[in-house]
Amino acid sequence: MEPIQSIGTQLDWVVLVIYMISMLLFGTYFAKYNNDTNDFFFGGRRFTWWIIAMSIVATGISSHSFIKYSAMGFKYGFSSSMSYINDWFFVPFFLFGWLPIIIYSRIRSIPEYFERRFSPSARFLVTILQLLYLVGYVGIGFLTMGKAILPLMPEFVTIFGMQIHITLMGLIWITAIVTGIYITFGGQTAVIFTDLVQGVMLLSAGFIVFFLGVSYVGGWDSFWSLLPTTWKLPLAHFNSPAEFNSVGTFWEDGIAGSVGFLFMNMGLIMRFMATKNVHEGRKAATINILFMLPVSAIVVGGGGWVAKAISIKFPNLIPAGTEADEVFVVIANILTGPGVFGFIIASIAAALMSTVATLLNAAAAIWVNDVDKPIRIWMKKVKKEDPVDEKRAMVIARGATVAFTLLGVISVYAFSSYPTIYQAHAFFHATLTPPLMVAIFFGVFWKKFTPAGLVTTIFGGISLMLLGNRFPLELIAPISQGTPYDPVHPFTYMAALYNLIVTSAVAILVTLFQEQLKSLANKIKKNANGNIIMNVIIVFIAIVVIYVVATAIFKLSFVPFLPLLLTTILLMSAVGLSTTYYVKYDAKAQTLGLTIWSIHQAKEWFKGSKLNEREGENVVASWKLVETDNEDIINFSKHDMNKMAAEAGDMVYISDTRKYLGGLKSCHTIYGEPHTENGVVYIRKLHVEKGLFVEGRLLEAEKEM
Amino acid sequence: MIDFFNTWFPYIYLYVGGGIFFIAGMILIRKTKAIDMRLKRDRFWWKVLIVGFFYFALIHALLIIAALYL
Repeated sequence: MEPIQSIGTQLDWVVLVIYMISMLLFGTYFAKYNNDTNDFFFGGRRFTWWIIAMSIVATGISSHSFIKYSAMGFKYGFSSSMSYINDWFFVPFFLFGWLPIIIYSRIRSIPEYFERRFSPSARFLVTILQLLYLVGYVGIGFLTMGKAILPLMPEFVTIFGMQIHITLMGLIWITAIVTGIYITFGGQTAVIFTDLVQGVMLLSAGFIVFFLGVSYVGGWDSFWSLLPTTWKLPLAHFNSPAEFNSVGTFWEDGIAGSVGFLFMNMGLIMRFMATKNVHEGRKAATINILFMLPVSAIVVGGGGWVAKAISIKFPNLIPAGTEADEVFVVIANILTGPGVFGFIIASIAAALMSTVATLLNAAAAIWVNDVDKPIRIWMKKVKKEDPVDEKRAMVIARGATVAFTLLGVISVYAFSSYPTIYQAHAFFHATLTPPLMVAIFFGVFWKKFTPAGLVTTIFGGISLMLLGNRFPLELIAPISQGTPYDPVHPFTYMAALYNLIVTSAVAILVTLFQEQLKSLANKIKKNANGNIIMNVIIVFIAIVVIYVVATAIFKLSFVPFLPLLLTTILLMSAVGLSTTYYVKYDAKAQTLGLTIWSIHQAKEWFKGSKLNEREGENVVASWKLVETDNEDIINFSKHDMNKMAAEAGDMVYISDTRKYLGGLKSCHTIYGEPHTENGVVYIRKLHVEKGLFVEGRLLEAEKEM
Repeated sequence: MIDFFNTWFPYIYLYVGGGIFFIAGMILIRKTKAIDMRLKRDRFWWKVLIVGFFYFALIHALLIIAALYL
């Protein structure tokens, strides 16, 4: 089917181009807030909850975009965006488990957590999975963007007499270049502030289309009565059709997707790390899930819902042959006038740029921290304890951003075979999320989980997942709960449940048999031929892994299903044994402060001294610059310290009192010994530089711990 | 045709299935003392977590009732 092209007017193009240029300039303006990699990646850990909550809206909406939810809304109704209101189940784990651990352990990336909790090899494996996850997400974003803009484009343009055919992939390359430039120079602060603007634009655009559509069909009563009852239900049919059902969406999105988004999406994690403290991070996450996501559900699905109502009332208005993924753009063009349509498309562009920019920034952070640095340590160019060469790290970060932009575009080719973006995204979640989800979950919540459990989860779990992909009728059908079998894309959603079961089972079994594995590893170590035995085991692992990967990719069938399954189970024992043999692991030291069972310890390490959890009030004070030294301490009067329930050595956050800045002008520091001048805080040059404080402006101080 | 598998069964599956994960999380954060009930702030968060679960269950239930009977 040929895609629809050449809709919209010149005015729409003007609006779109002006918007893109404005965002580029706005983003690059914030480059001045990037003094080091901490600012570039984490925005200086200073923002208040509302800025982060709003910026998460823009990121979240794009990743579950207008295009895919409107497509499903047009086909199935209100249930299209059910995945926006099923994220609460894992919130306790996130707010009181993962969020405090990532902040208090001062990690700079998820893979770094795995090195501290398990081993360098665990970090290496998780780095690969994380980068695949992020690059895949970027690819989905670019595909969405291409599908959104293509309908506006003519089929051909003539430049210097040459006729150029405009294709989806050509368009994706151009949008990738624009997005790459803006994130490469702006960094995390740019992402957060442009998202603030984009979040507002997105919500406005979605509501404009929805309300115009409702009005087009004659108001709310008419809209409601036009839709069949099944279209108005908030949850899809339990298990059919294959391309969209409740049980599949529950496992693929409510479980794998929710955990993927909250726990694994390094882009989102970096947003929470940019909040001024854990409490603000909790507020940002909660407000986002409780209020912003339900609103977003209407915003992203509304286009498809009104398109359905319009198609019933005016059957010939939506062109025959319109693909599901084109519905939003087509209906927006019908409902809005010239210029407004450009605004709507600009907001989709905004949504894409937010998500992609966040993910690219995250991928660059992982490259700098988890690839570049370990390689330099391994090559003995730097020592582990050496301070970061900020200038070099910034160059590497920007180079990595460019490289991941290119990889993101290349990954689009893998998703383009799916009929809708919704299904492409579901396949992506169901496949890449479970191993990392299990790794993070068991790492954080189960003290006994060992490096052998983790490495086997990744190798053995993924091997079993690949077998599931190759033999879906044998492995996934028994747990598919009645969802139909689609031979082209078998069990796109229920694969998530199968993948979760096999990866969890591997993790649990290997950890439970850890003592037996340890004793076997010790016996091999004592054996004169120990090295030979281990080499044979490693060769066996390599052969089986290569064969299983080839079986899934090339649909091989040299080895029948059952022997292959048994060999894969044997592979898992071999991986567990070899990890136990080679990896040094101190269970006590490597779980302290890194699991939910010892968060208090993590908090004390974060502070560097005993905690002061007495509750006090915030204090507003004018500031005076101390020029005799440049220590990282500030001084309040004894009276003000008492009011804050603070003591010398406690951690404090000071910020400009203008709330609308959302913490942009602020910094973290330590209380020094008190003075006698009430209502005045003595600060140093480094605080003025870090917090960009303005002379004559008051500061608000909040004791942290 | 609208039947139980269109309406309330997906709802029950969602909140029983999801509820198991949710309750496991709530028990875990209490058992590990990750949430410190001696602190006023943490007591507030405990209530928010419980209210949040029922808030979403109520939204879904009202939407199903609206679809079926309005």
